[in-house]
Amino acid sequence: MSELEEFGDESSEEVEVLTAAEVLSKLEQAWADEKFAPDLLEAKTDLVECMLEQINEMEENIQRAKRGDFKVSLHRMEIDRIRYLLSSYLRCRLMKIEKHTTHILEQEQMRKEEENSRLSPEEYTFAKEYQASMEGHFKNIALRHMPPNLQSLDPKQTAVRPNLDSYVFLRVAEDTQGVLVEEETVDTGEEIVDLEKGDQHIMRYRPVVPLVASGAVTLI
Amino acid sequence: MDPAEVEFLAEKELVKIVPNFTQDKIFLIGGDIGPFSPSLPVSVPLWMAVNLKQGQKCRLVPPDWMDVEKLKDKKQEEMDSKFFTAMPSDQYMEVTQLILKSATDDIPHADEIRTLVKDIWDLRIAKLRSSIDTFVRSDATHAKLNHLTLMELNTVRPFLTQALDHMHVLRNNISGRIQSTQD
Repeated sequence: MSELEEFGDESSEEVEVLTAAEVLSKLEQAWADEKFAPDLLEAKTDLVECMLEQINEMEENIQRAKRGDFKVSLHRMEIDRIRYLLSSYLRCRLMKIEKHTTHILEQEQMRKEEENSRLSPEEYTFAKEYQASMEGHFKNIALRHMPPNLQSLDPKQTAVRPNLDSYVFLRVAEDTQGVLVEEETVDTGEEIVDLEKGDQHIMRYRPVVPLVASGAVTLI
Repeated sequence: MDPAEVEFLAEKELVKIVPNFTQDKIFLIGGDIGPFSPSLPVSVPLWMAVNLKQGQKCRLVPPDWMDVEKLKDKKQEEMDSKFFTAMPSDQYMEVTQLILKSATDDIPHADEIRTLVKDIWDLRIAKLRSSIDTFVRSDATHAKLNHLTLMELNTVRPFLTQALDHMHVLRNNISGRIQSTQD
């Protein structure tokens, strides 16, 4: 597609204009980041919707095309590839939501007005319903047979939380100076690295959380 | 990440083909491709090249680096260097596999190329293993991994990241910081 897509970023006033190909490569990056990050990243709803629109448009075009046209099979293949990317991305998010339901909903509640939600509205509904069904299930199956003092679940103890200290591979997209990799402890000094564009590193996820969110580093 | 997913990413790499058909420009979502005319080389994504080749609609042109002499030099360079050298393609392994699987007849000295690429891969993986050993022994907390490709990282990912996670927990316990991890 050669025409330009309007692509609004809700958090800022300016409107980015991206070609469909750029949206696609951003989505590929979002997919990889989401796959490797231990916690749930911000939902890239705009990218997903833009790609879905493109696919639908393309499918309509295919409908209109002549039967047996050679182009059609190539377009179909591309659509299949993009659809795989989209569903893999969304499925990956759902898996994280199922795993860390309580933690994610807690974060969502503590979120300040001006921050963007990490969940899309649909994912939020899903998380809520998933939590309700799991709790209902536990109650029906086990908890109600327990002695009265053990009949409730304490989210503080039972919630599964992502391990932000897990190690990730990353590639630097923008120069960033002075990332504090290791805080100062009794026996070791603090460790600071400068990230240069194009470099690849392995380190804990925690120090780079803000950089992944801003796109200054990408996970690989 | 599954190796198939790494391959999926490599499939969008552009390669040159010589088509044997005529076709106007194709407006794909990922960018415009074409126009195609017989015996004029044109760049297409690898997935399309493989598909066209299967339908016997084109001949694949090997990438510049897929050449016996160049690969021999590369192998020598990799052997002589203590560090990882820059590879001609970030997806050299995947691209070689895909091209040699679908278009062996278009690549001169295909067998030799297969062996050379495998040799380079083995050299690099051995180097990667020994540097991981040094890295883990040195008790470092981060490392720079320039010039390693995604497929190479992927082969050590599950083991390396988990081992480091455990070491991090152990280290923190020694220094008295108690942590709860459930992952």
